[in-house]
Amino acid sequence: MQGFTAAAPPAGGGGGGGGAGASDLAQLQSTMQAIELACTSIQMHINPAAAEAVILSLGQSSQPYKTCQFILDHADTVLVVFAEKSQVATARFQAAAAIREAAIREWGFLSADDKRGLISFCLCYAMQHASSPDNFVQSKVSSVAAQLMKRGWLEFVTAEKETLFYQVNQAILGIHGLDVQFAGIKFLESLVSEFSPSTSSAMGLPREFHEQCRRSLELDYLKIFYRWTQEAASGVTNRIVESDSAVPEVKVCTAALDLMLQILNWDFRCNTNDTKVNVFSAGVRQDGDSPRRSEYHLLQPGSDWRDVLISSGHVGWLLILYSALRKKFSFEGYWLDCPIAVSARKLIIQLCSLAGAVFVSDDVKMHEQHLLQLLSGIIEWVDPPDAVSRAIESGKSESEMLDGCRALLAIANVTTPYVFDDLLKPLRPFGTLTFLAMLMSEVIKVLMTSNPDEENWSWEARDVILDTWTALLTPINMITANALLPSEGIKAAANLFGFIVECELRMASASAFNDDGEADYLHASVSAMDERLSSYSLIARASVDVSIPFLHRVFSERVARLNQGRGIVDLTETMEELYSLLLIIGHVIADEGEGEIPLVPNAIQTQFVVNAMETDKHPVIVLSSSIIKFAEQCQNPELRSSVFSPRLLESVIWFLARWSRTYLMSSDGNGDKILDSGHHHEHNSKKALLSFFGEHNQGKSVLDIIVRVSLVTLTSFPGEKDLQGLTCYQLLHSLVQQKHICIHLVTLNSWHELATAFSTEKTLFLLDSAHQRSLAQTLVRSASGMRDSDTSSQYVRNLMGHIATYIVELSNKSNFKSIAQQPDILLSVSCMLERLRGAASASEPRTQKAIYELGFSVMNPILVLLEVYKHESAVVYLLLKFVVDWVDGQITYLEAQETASVVNFCMRLLQLYSSHNIGKISISLSSSLLSEAKTDMYKDLRALLQLLSSLCSKDMIDFSSDSIEIQGTNISQVVYFGLHIVTPLISMDLLKYPKLCHDYFSLLSHMLEVYPETFAQLNNEAFAHILGTLDFGLHHQDADVVTKCLRAVQALASYHYKETRNSSVGLGAHAMGLEDSNGNFQEGLLSRFLRSLLQFLLFEDYSSDLTSVAADALLPLILCEQSLYQRFRKNLTSFLIEVRGFLRTM
Amino acid sequence: MSDEEHHFESKADAGASKTYPQQAGTIRKNGYIVIKARPCKVVEVSTSKTGKHGHAKCHFVGIDIFTGKKLEDIVPSSHNCDVPHVNRTDYQLIDISEDGFVSLLTDNGSTKDDLRLPTDDSLLTQIKDGFAEGKDLVVSVMSAMGEEQICALKDIGPKN
Repeated sequence: MQGFTAAAPPAGGGGGGGGAGASDLAQLQSTMQAIELACTSIQMHINPAAAEAVILSLGQSSQPYKTCQFILDHADTVLVVFAEKSQVATARFQAAAAIREAAIREWGFLSADDKRGLISFCLCYAMQHASSPDNFVQSKVSSVAAQLMKRGWLEFVTAEKETLFYQVNQAILGIHGLDVQFAGIKFLESLVSEFSPSTSSAMGLPREFHEQCRRSLELDYLKIFYRWTQEAASGVTNRIVESDSAVPEVKVCTAALDLMLQILNWDFRCNTNDTKVNVFSAGVRQDGDSPRRSEYHLLQPGSDWRDVLISSGHVGWLLILYSALRKKFSFEGYWLDCPIAVSARKLIIQLCSLAGAVFVSDDVKMHEQHLLQLLSGIIEWVDPPDAVSRAIESGKSESEMLDGCRALLAIANVTTPYVFDDLLKPLRPFGTLTFLAMLMSEVIKVLMTSNPDEENWSWEARDVILDTWTALLTPINMITANALLPSEGIKAAANLFGFIVECELRMASASAFNDDGEADYLHASVSAMDERLSSYSLIARASVDVSIPFLHRVFSERVARLNQGRGIVDLTETMEELYSLLLIIGHVIADEGEGEIPLVPNAIQTQFVVNAMETDKHPVIVLSSSIIKFAEQCQNPELRSSVFSPRLLESVIWFLARWSRTYLMSSDGNGDKILDSGHHHEHNSKKALLSFFGEHNQGKSVLDIIVRVSLVTLTSFPGEKDLQGLTCYQLLHSLVQQKHICIHLVTLNSWHELATAFSTEKTLFLLDSAHQRSLAQTLVRSASGMRDSDTSSQYVRNLMGHIATYIVELSNKSNFKSIAQQPDILLSVSCMLERLRGAASASEPRTQKAIYELGFSVMNPILVLLEVYKHESAVVYLLLKFVVDWVDGQITYLEAQETASVVNFCMRLLQLYSSHNIGKISISLSSSLLSEAKTDMYKDLRALLQLLSSLCSKDMIDFSSDSIEIQGTNISQVVYFGLHIVTPLISMDLLKYPKLCHDYFSLLSHMLEVYPETFAQLNNEAFAHILGTLDFGLHHQDADVVTKCLRAVQALASYHYKETRNSSVGLGAHAMGLEDSNGNFQEGLLSRFLRSLLQFLLFEDYSSDLTSVAADALLPLILCEQSLYQRFRKNLTSFLIEVRGFLRTM
Repeated sequence: MSDEEHHFESKADAGASKTYPQQAGTIRKNGYIVIKARPCKVVEVSTSKTGKHGHAKCHFVGIDIFTGKKLEDIVPSSHNCDVPHVNRTDYQLIDISEDGFVSLLTDNGSTKDDLRLPTDDSLLTQIKDGFAEGKDLVVSVMSAMGEEQICALKDIGPKN
């Protein structure tokens, strides 16, 4: 193998290279042959590794420019004998890459002439060889030129740049022919992409460099480039328009259109208002929270661009060009998707999104004129929709249609609904909104007839048009003022929504008998349909006074059909229609809220004129009431079996949950002083709605119905986990979140029936146990609506007391051990524990006492259960989780006496758990059962660590009246003792579970930082174990874990240093070295950590995030272990003296 | 239909006292279930519907607690399944005999000598090695539906 260091000329080999001697020439040729050979062998897979090394060595050698230039210039003339032409081109490609690599690396050493020489060599090469067939070599060379130009951008003076660009300009003007013109445009393309932060190539320079280049290009050159390209394109337009078949000019024109599009895609910043750009976040767009599917941003190049883009007739030229192209699509060489047509359409769409200062700000007409002009061209692509879609069905390409939709979306993003609607009026007898509705109807029609498994164009068209509606309607939905669509638009939206609902229902009934597994779940279908449904709901809300009565009509009609057909015909299709309808209605009349309490949608607040006397005729009230009445019917067993399938009831529950969050007893229903500012009739609608379903009106009876319906789903649908899950987590859970609802909830008979059923009814023990936990939590939480703490405590005792009794009695049974493993006992114990856990996690100050007593009464039974079920990991985990949740909820409130007994209990629990599990080995043939056992162990340990952390918090937050020290409880000792019990169970294998590892080291570093003195008092064994894990953590991969360990070490060392300065013992014997029984000297812990920390810092790879925390730990260690550090320094110095000579030669 | 048949078979096979009926919807991951007349630990449960507007059914994946084989079953979630009574008892290990039996000390002081060592080599060595090292070993014996097997070992310190 041959290296190139020797072959390269000693100094830079600028543009010329005329003075090469004969021996030089031989060298160059042999190098070239080697490279060509390497390229050939890579292509033919002969020893590729060696060949690759040869090629790499060219780029890595010092100053290989002359060689590279030689290869570029000569490679095709010499070796044609035994190498294929294309492989020789590869050699030239590699040479260009080598120039780039070497020049970027050695840029600092090159002279100014060399730099310019290299750039102009590459540039000239690309231009001169513009007509040669190996395009990839030309584009590589041209991109190398662009990269080098950027590298030197900030050092070159303007005149130097001008000289280089003069050549480019000449080329682009077409003076040297079409090929060179094309090459010139391509060069600018790679230059622009180099300067754009998102597409630039790495140069090993700071981010600021790229940012400065970007700014400079945007300010000084971008517009000039655009103008050159514009001129080049219009120069060749005539030839294209006049000829009937494809001409070479097309290639130039396409490249020009692409470059213009690329420039318009530039992220313009200099002319926008915020001049301060954070270079670290630059390149990331800020509008991340838009709900739309298509990534979208406005094009705002600033007022400087007005002459180029607006006043120069640019748009007119582009439209003429494209309409000329459209006429040619039947000719040879042109078709709808030919590159020039695609590029022209893209540029047209891009120009639609032009906005901002480029238009004169006080001249609205200018922008409208611009859009009108564009729309006049675009409308030809999509109008009339039915004819266009028929043409597509019979084989025409859909790209023009889709681009038309995208252009409408772009226009919708820069206009208000009024302006948008008016745009089409000069061209057609209807407004743009009406047209958009027509277009959408057509697309949905196609969508309905097409095969649902195939992604057809109508999918994408529908999504784009829906985005267009969203863009137009979202601002109306947000603003509280009287913003409306024009009346014609409202009508169009109403018709469209009617059509959408009709189609959705038709699709629903068609799919009623499909049984394709996963897609059927409510969760999945809601989230998949969610975006689409929320776009639909915007359309519905735009015409709310038509669409709500319409929805009511459709709903009542379907319900009537169910009632008539009951027992006579198969109702599945109607059920599925109602299912879809409920999802749609839920989206139209209420918003999601995302954790907050959602407001009544703006359109519903403002668009109804309500007569105060007849609030019950309010369309939204009529609709809501009829759905609630429908839901109520599920209490009738006969109807339940024939009409209410689990799936239909799922949508009912989902609807009730969503609806009640907005409307039911809304807390701002009565006063509403914030919004009430003059325009009365607007808020009348809202007021009427909220007071109708408020606490003094129908609210309570609706709440009663909701509770009864929930009771039905929980008791009468055995085994329907999804339905019951929705009831527990969505509906009931969200009801008890609001205190004013709880106040009414606890007065309802139905709520007490639910509570009684929960305690006594056998069917509720058959619910999924997680659902039972949630139900217990919900029921306990509703106690916040009770009058005072006595009643709420009594309520909790009534609710949960029998469970505690059951557990106490069970654990006292003499034969408990023998019956414990019976499946029925196992099941009821698990259910009871889940319920206890649910109640424990709902603890609030008012119910805290009752829940403490509840837990206290089962403390001993819990230990009995732990002993009996030690082999039943599922029960053990439930036991631990109950204790964790109970302690977590109680600890801060407990008085000294109570704390002592809780702490005592926890320690016994830990000891018992540890005695069962330490040294235990599971034996099974099944590897998955073994790994399950390990996972169980991991979950248990995490729970135990959580328990210790909860105990720890007692020292930080304590609401009790007296200090816990009175009872002699020392939290830190307790927790260290707990750690001592738990840590032997945590094997290094288990620490590989990231969450456990994280929890463990969080607790450990907290303990060492806050209580180093207790740590010092630990016995040797406990001490050694904790240090062992600390050592393990220091070498962990996760930087977070290492940080925690370093903090802990720092805490220990500073504690020891401070204490010894005050002539205390500090860590005492632990810090000292000691001799073990075999007479071996063992180092003290601080010197051990100093050693391993220095080792870590000097010789290991670590994240730079760790530097500061490692330094913090190093200082106290050095202060504590001065003598060891001095030894280290001495060694280091002598080492440095030894290697000094060597270092110099480097 | 085939689910029903399995249901029947397993009952006849197992005998009433060794299994208990329990609603399919209440059986969770980590619980036990009888599939094809074998006691299994449930490692996966999923629910689906029989047709869009039909009722829920549970799909169980279980692992035979004795043989380690994977078994699957689908049951409507409101129907009953058989759940095995799985018992675990701890014994102190007294001796390992040449013919592959172990001798265990029961709570009431007598010995239990009818339990075979596992035939699988790796499991066998785990037990034998521990015993040979002179550790005091407690073995947990798992029994269900008329079968029993050692399922865990615990070292309670060196033998005196």
